[in-house]
Amino acid sequence: MTPPLLEVKGLSKHFSQRRGLLRMLSGTAAGTIPAVDDVSFTLAENETLGLVGESGCGKTTTGKAILKLMPVTAGVIRYRDRDITPLSPAEFQPLRREIQMIFQDLDAALNPKMRIESILHEAIALREPELDADDLRRRAYDLLELVNLKKNKLANFPAELSGGEKRRIGIARVLAVRPKLIVADEPTSALDVSIQAQVINLLRDLQDQFGLSYLFISHDLPLVELVSHRVAVMYLGQIVELGPAPRIAHAPRHPYTSVLWSSLAEKRSQEAVSVTAPTWGVFDFERPSAGCRFAPRCPVYAARGKPPECTDPCNAPRLREIEPGHVVACHFPREP
Amino acid sequence: MSTIPLLRIEDLRTYFFSRAKQAFIRSVDGVDLEIARGETLGIVGESGSGKSVSMHSALGLVTATPGVISGRAVFHDEAPRDLLAGLDACTRLERRDGRIMSVEKDNRAWQKQVERNLAGVRGGKIAMIFQNPKAAMNPYETIGAQISEAVRLHTAIKDPVAARERALHWLEAVRIDSPRLRYDNYPHGLSGGMCQRAMVAMALAAEPRLLVADEPTTGLDATIQARIVELLEELKTRFGMTLVLISHDIGVIARLSDRIAVMYGGQVQESGPAAMLLEQSELGHPYTHALLASMPRAKNVKHGGRLPAIEGEVLDTINVPRGCRFRERCQRIHDGIRARCAGQEPELVEVTPGRRVRCWLYQA
Amino acid sequence: MSRYYQPHDTVSEYSEIRSWRSASLVDRAYVGYGLAVVVLVVLSYLLGMFGWLPHDPEAMDLATMLVGPLTENYVLGTDYLGRDLLTRLILGIQAYFLPGLLSIAIALSLGAALGVLAGYHGGRSKVAVTYVTNLVDSLPRLVLMLLVIAAFKPGIYTIMVVLGLTTAPTVAMLVQGKIMMLRERNFIESAVALGISPGRIILKHILWYNCRALLLIQATLGMAEAVLLETSLSYLGFGVQEPTPSWGNMVQSGANYLLQGNFWVSTAPALAILFTVLGFHLLGDGLNNMFEGKRQR
Repeated sequence: MTPPLLEVKGLSKHFSQRRGLLRMLSGTAAGTIPAVDDVSFTLAENETLGLVGESGCGKTTTGKAILKLMPVTAGVIRYRDRDITPLSPAEFQPLRREIQMIFQDLDAALNPKMRIESILHEAIALREPELDADDLRRRAYDLLELVNLKKNKLANFPAELSGGEKRRIGIARVLAVRPKLIVADEPTSALDVSIQAQVINLLRDLQDQFGLSYLFISHDLPLVELVSHRVAVMYLGQIVELGPAPRIAHAPRHPYTSVLWSSLAEKRSQEAVSVTAPTWGVFDFERPSAGCRFAPRCPVYAARGKPPECTDPCNAPRLREIEPGHVVACHFPREP
Repeated sequence: MSTIPLLRIEDLRTYFFSRAKQAFIRSVDGVDLEIARGETLGIVGESGSGKSVSMHSALGLVTATPGVISGRAVFHDEAPRDLLAGLDACTRLERRDGRIMSVEKDNRAWQKQVERNLAGVRGGKIAMIFQNPKAAMNPYETIGAQISEAVRLHTAIKDPVAARERALHWLEAVRIDSPRLRYDNYPHGLSGGMCQRAMVAMALAAEPRLLVADEPTTGLDATIQARIVELLEELKTRFGMTLVLISHDIGVIARLSDRIAVMYGGQVQESGPAAMLLEQSELGHPYTHALLASMPRAKNVKHGGRLPAIEGEVLDTINVPRGCRFRERCQRIHDGIRARCAGQEPELVEVTPGRRVRCWLYQA
Repeated sequence: MSRYYQPHDTVSEYSEIRSWRSASLVDRAYVGYGLAVVVLVVLSYLLGMFGWLPHDPEAMDLATMLVGPLTENYVLGTDYLGRDLLTRLILGIQAYFLPGLLSIAIALSLGAALGVLAGYHGGRSKVAVTYVTNLVDSLPRLVLMLLVIAAFKPGIYTIMVVLGLTTAPTVAMLVQGKIMMLRERNFIESAVALGISPGRIILKHILWYNCRALLLIQATLGMAEAVLLETSLSYLGFGVQEPTPSWGNMVQSGANYLLQGNFWVSTAPALAILFTVLGFHLLGDGLNNMFEGKRQR
């Protein structure tokens, strides 16, 4: 039984709230925002795990934590069965190139003052520092070909590229270091509809060609269903459901998942409408509800007459396996 | 009487000028649109298609230069009036090979004229809601104050107390929770969804004949988007609102529109009844068909999980090709029409009653 | 009536954002003038260093004292001791050139280091640097200099070190501000994610690509400051002492002869100060407008 490529257990990232100078000097404890709270999942080789949720649920933070772009508050991250959590930046450096990220912001990877040629050469040289100018150029051509871009783009500055082209250069740059695992943070969100399909096809082709694994973070639900093998649904920093993509999309067990999917503008769902709480949308991290965090907005909670288990702080719902490969954190999961 | 469109846009052209490239950005290049009373027109398109700029132009909101250089926007409420009247006197165009290459425009005079034309109409008879609601509202005033201001400006109610009551009425109508509390909130204190509702309330407070919604759901979470869509639906049924909905999200357009106009490269490529356009059939414009086919939906997935994507880049309206603008990305071009697609720009013609397509496949 | 004209049918893919071409005429004039001043200063410094001067600066010829400009051998005339003014002007540059460079070097390196520390690491470093810079900024520079001189009677180089130290905070805040802006754009984070070493990120991506314009402009301003400071101190009698020429002490000693009608003795060095400082300022201004000018689409 080969260990999974990536294993995350109990990952937590708490942000401390800003404090004024006096408070900081006097050492008073401040509140924390549990952006990511006890998150666990695995990712196998050649697999795409979708991570969905609304803004503020912690999906981007999870992705960045895996890349060790920020220190984690608690939890263990194992890559290739090796605990990378306690590694210092220097120790982690050689592993960095295997775990890469495609950022949500199209301009993130591109220094506006550098030509595309320089940007790609720099990335290539990270893995192969001994190459000379001709070899660098040849590798750059190979990369452009992989992402379906013309060679003349090398002379451009990032400002002269379209959105889709910038996204592809971002992907090419990441590919230059030959990663095994790519965290894709909203890879299509800033793109036009007709370009999105191109990028999705590209990501798929690359996965087949290089045996890549993706952590696919997105709020575009049909897209996630399409590209993922399994999907994890996050709400307020916690995973509430995780299972095979088709089942998450068409037979969800957690009330939040079903509300999320049925809120697609195309569908007119009774469930989405029946959510009685009108204050849908304002997250109040400072005072997360005791017990199940979704209870105040949960249609099942309301329909069942507000059962006390849901708000019992000692009985917060934990992820339980209800079918092989499918876990839900709910006291009253929906029937299939 | 009811067949006269509430708003008719004719041959609208809005150009911008790039000094760095010494060339025109032809954002809106000959657009014709009609909105009938009580109906919802959905304008769908990608970036650069000109969908937002056309409606902004019709309402005189474009101030960059040279801006609107030709066209009419006839608003027929009790009597027809051209919102863009006076343009001819201020502009002179020069064409070269049939394409506008030089524009002389008295921007100040035109702006003054347009302000005169739109007095009382903009905000009052035609209201607009914008993308990114927090940025569109005044951050220094409470939302209640802004809605009351709209009431006092555009209705007969001038008394502040009565205006406040009316504002509360509209806040309730948009189903914002605790209207009396929210009245005193500032825009930054509200979430995106609530702010959008407040903006809708502000638009409705003027009791407009026409509501233009520019990307009202973009940037909002999925569940919030659904609620805003429901709100707009309710406005249609409850108030008989005439709505122009601009969006790149075909799902939202599909749910709300009676008629749809598809824009690409600064022109309307296809327009017609929503149900007809949304069938993924081969009977419409190749762009519409390809766009619908490339969306991530189960029925679109081909073998190996690939989506049928439209190749190429979205048209950058600074370098507009001769002939059909979609030519380079079109999958349905064939030898019989290739020459015409490359040489001549097709007109928007009616192919079935109510449905107009701009494509040589449908013209002799 | 505004006219917009598109000359070509097709438009190139490249946006041709070349600073020089899109700069206005005024900015080009500023930069041109500033560069001319810089060239003159450097040349004069070299002339002075190698001693290729039209006259011996200390040769006093009382017979030809106080002759006006364009007299025989003396292009700018002589002073009250018969020394050639032009020679002394050229030599006067020695007084501030190297010290000025020293002050710039200190200001830029220290400022960049502090700015990077505050911007890149943030947190406590940022708070500390901000407080220190605000503190140093609030000190009136000339008064501080006079105090230092009164207390320690230092040489010009030491004074310039102090100048550099007091200018460093401004540079630090500018660099820090720039980094804050860059942070927003995420590409520092993505460079870290890719695996580029922090040292390389700082030197190459931050300082070289994004801060070099800023630093260059600060260098020009710093040089202008140095000139002003040195000449002010010499004028007040604290800097370079007679018989070594400095523009400041030349103005001072020539002042006595103004009312007698021999105005060039004092005016020539004063104009030299004016045009030189103006040159550096305009160079900085012009470069600033060129680099940071409004980007057109």
